[in-house]
Amino acid sequence: MEKLNISRLKEIVGEKNVKDDPADLYIYGTDASVHQAMPWAVVRPENAGQVQEIMRYANSEKIPVIPRGSGSGMCGQTVPVNGGIILDMKRMNKILEINLEDVYCRVEPGVIDDDLNKALKPYNVFFPPTPASSIIATIGGEIANNASGVRSVKYGAARDSLLGVKLVLASGDMISFGTTTRVEASGYQIERIIAGSEGTLGVIVEATLKFVPLPTIRCLGMTNFNKLEEAGDSISEIMASGCTPSMLELVDNVAIKAINNALKLNLPDVDAILIFEADGMVKEAVDFEITKIKDICETHGGFGTELSFDEKERERIYTGRKKLFPSLSKYKELMPSTSLADDMTVPYSKMAETTRKIHEIAKQNNIIMSAYGHCGSGCMHTKILMDTTKSESWKAAEKAVAQIYEYVNSVGGTTSAEHGIGISKAPAFKIEKAASLELMRGIKKAFDPNNILNPGKLQDASDDWLNATKLRYTVSDKCE
Amino acid sequence: MNKPKIKLNRLEKWKGSLDVCIRCGYCFAHCPIYKDTRWETDAPRGKMTLIYGLINGEVEPTDYVAEKLLECFYCKRCENNCSSSLPITQIFTDAQADLLEAGFDVKGTTSVTNRGQCTLCLECVRLCKHEARSYDGRIVVDTVKCQSCGSCIDSCPRMAISMNLGFGTNPDEMRSEITGFLKDDKRKNAKAIVFCCNWSNYPGFQVAELVSEDPDPEYKILVTMCSGRVQSQVIMEAFAQGAWGVLVTMCPEDKCEHDGNVRTKMRINSLKKAIHELGIGPERVQLEIVEKGNQKQFQDGVKKFMKEIKDAGPLKRG
Repeated sequence: MEKLNISRLKEIVGEKNVKDDPADLYIYGTDASVHQAMPWAVVRPENAGQVQEIMRYANSEKIPVIPRGSGSGMCGQTVPVNGGIILDMKRMNKILEINLEDVYCRVEPGVIDDDLNKALKPYNVFFPPTPASSIIATIGGEIANNASGVRSVKYGAARDSLLGVKLVLASGDMISFGTTTRVEASGYQIERIIAGSEGTLGVIVEATLKFVPLPTIRCLGMTNFNKLEEAGDSISEIMASGCTPSMLELVDNVAIKAINNALKLNLPDVDAILIFEADGMVKEAVDFEITKIKDICETHGGFGTELSFDEKERERIYTGRKKLFPSLSKYKELMPSTSLADDMTVPYSKMAETTRKIHEIAKQNNIIMSAYGHCGSGCMHTKILMDTTKSESWKAAEKAVAQIYEYVNSVGGTTSAEHGIGISKAPAFKIEKAASLELMRGIKKAFDPNNILNPGKLQDASDDWLNATKLRYTVSDKCE
Repeated sequence: MNKPKIKLNRLEKWKGSLDVCIRCGYCFAHCPIYKDTRWETDAPRGKMTLIYGLINGEVEPTDYVAEKLLECFYCKRCENNCSSSLPITQIFTDAQADLLEAGFDVKGTTSVTNRGQCTLCLECVRLCKHEARSYDGRIVVDTVKCQSCGSCIDSCPRMAISMNLGFGTNPDEMRSEITGFLKDDKRKNAKAIVFCCNWSNYPGFQVAELVSEDPDPEYKILVTMCSGRVQSQVIMEAFAQGAWGVLVTMCPEDKCEHDGNVRTKMRINSLKKAIHELGIGPERVQLEIVEKGNQKQFQDGVKKFMKEIKDAGPLKRG
């Protein structure tokens, strides 16, 4: 910290855009994960030129730089494990161009997802990744995490909508990668590596994104299952049969109980619920799609199906899933919902088995876990509900996380679906990607020889997430 | 765990609740103070994190920390949208009470009275719905009770009341926004100012600068914490800077959080008469009642107002 020249940073971005009060640093040392570490300063650049100057300075002094959007990451992606400068990108929030003719837009990294979609709506198009956090998520953060959400089953993740990026490297040099065209076969597509790189390869200062037509018709359905396996079989068949749902969500029994507890919705106390949606421009096409999904569900034992095209009715059906997050945090007193083993992807045929396995592991380790997710993308989310003040809870959670990812790995799944790796998922990621870690380190070195860009993440993160940083929670007795 | 540096008698009970906060940050999108500064320290999540640090002894209680925790307009939008359903403003209030009790003398967004200017008319005491102002030989402000609506500021006939930190809602800040909008040479369409009550509707306009949206809008929206804060002088400033009209939105009569709308109604009626005397058509200043969160009502109101203003044309100078 002693080597940080605050005056130099103030010269670059102006006095008002640098903070180094310990109170500010404490806040910027956390995100939505379990981790916390203190940065040395928070700096808000306004343009790419300022980012270049900051990087030149940081590179010459070998000071870590951690780009940050709204800090909604769940795995500690923006937690500064080695201190350094938090580069708060939220001031770079201009939509630079909406090109309808060539079907792309150019934005600065601090643009909020919902604001971009608000700007695109008059043209009847939208930027599809739509993570649950779209109300605050920045486009830069979405790209860096390769974020996605409920509609990823049809529209893909951030990487699938990314045509190009303008990147400031650790050296301060700025390079544009990618194109504005739909396809590209001109050698390495570096922009695609940037998606999911979690700020370790460069600072995104501009992104070129494609958008897609906004559907005019949506139909939402919900079906109950007495057996988890029946829901699992339905998912597998829906996806294998050529259906293209715009949403396919699984909600397990723990989640159903949490929703009923919190919202008194009186959802049936079944093993699983599937929520599905079809969208399009022609009612007949949406009808065809939704009926096919409904029939598959009912063939596998689904019952009590509700379907609706009406916006208000769709909202009512979706309320439980939408409010699942807050419902889980109120599941039981003194059992906060922690972001651990928060997401993963497994093959469709393993969705039900994975859910069962998660429940089994939770029981073994005496913790509560819920499984839900965008099963149409093979994405499964969990939350660990535990007494965060006790070190034994953390030890149990550590064991459960390891067991879950060991299982995910064994069935051909992957460590993260859309939340990224950061710190807390790094041990599992390093096991899964063991064969390519050295290659990844080589790529990192080519972009950032001095290892100043978000160091200690992904392949370079600690194998011991529990002790990699201080926990954001107060544990009454220290973990061993 | 370190020991808290000061006694936190009221905050102690929230220890468990602060663990329940999942730090999703969704509150950013709803906080008028964060929208003004865009520093995470000013967002509810940031303040909850600070309180957490105070309780576990990791954050040193300083004037800066106390100042931050006393910055809140009590619109409660954060807690109405909290993923963990936490009573955020109640936690802030307890933090404020503990810090003030510990001797921190900071004001945050609390209104303050300039004793030299105050004539002790007690108008501010009478109108404060939150009973934050009282008379004890002088005007006394209960910093914990004050909800920073700013109604007292506008009510003071001597202009003796102010708010050190307005986050865009102080009269001077509004005047500067008005001038910036109406006197910008690059703008050819600027015609009106719309004062938008933070409660009666939720604009959410300020987060991003959408340059691709209408680059030359016809009206500018200024968010106030209560329609009662829109001073006549500020409205007149808009006319002085060439506005064709001014629209003030407010909550329905019995639904104002601060009882400011009663004064707003009286003020706008008097102002209409006053501008009529000056040869300005009373239709140039309009009042629109908007129910809490009813965006359509707000949009329809603005649409109707803009049509009438455009029909009336620009103000005649002279």
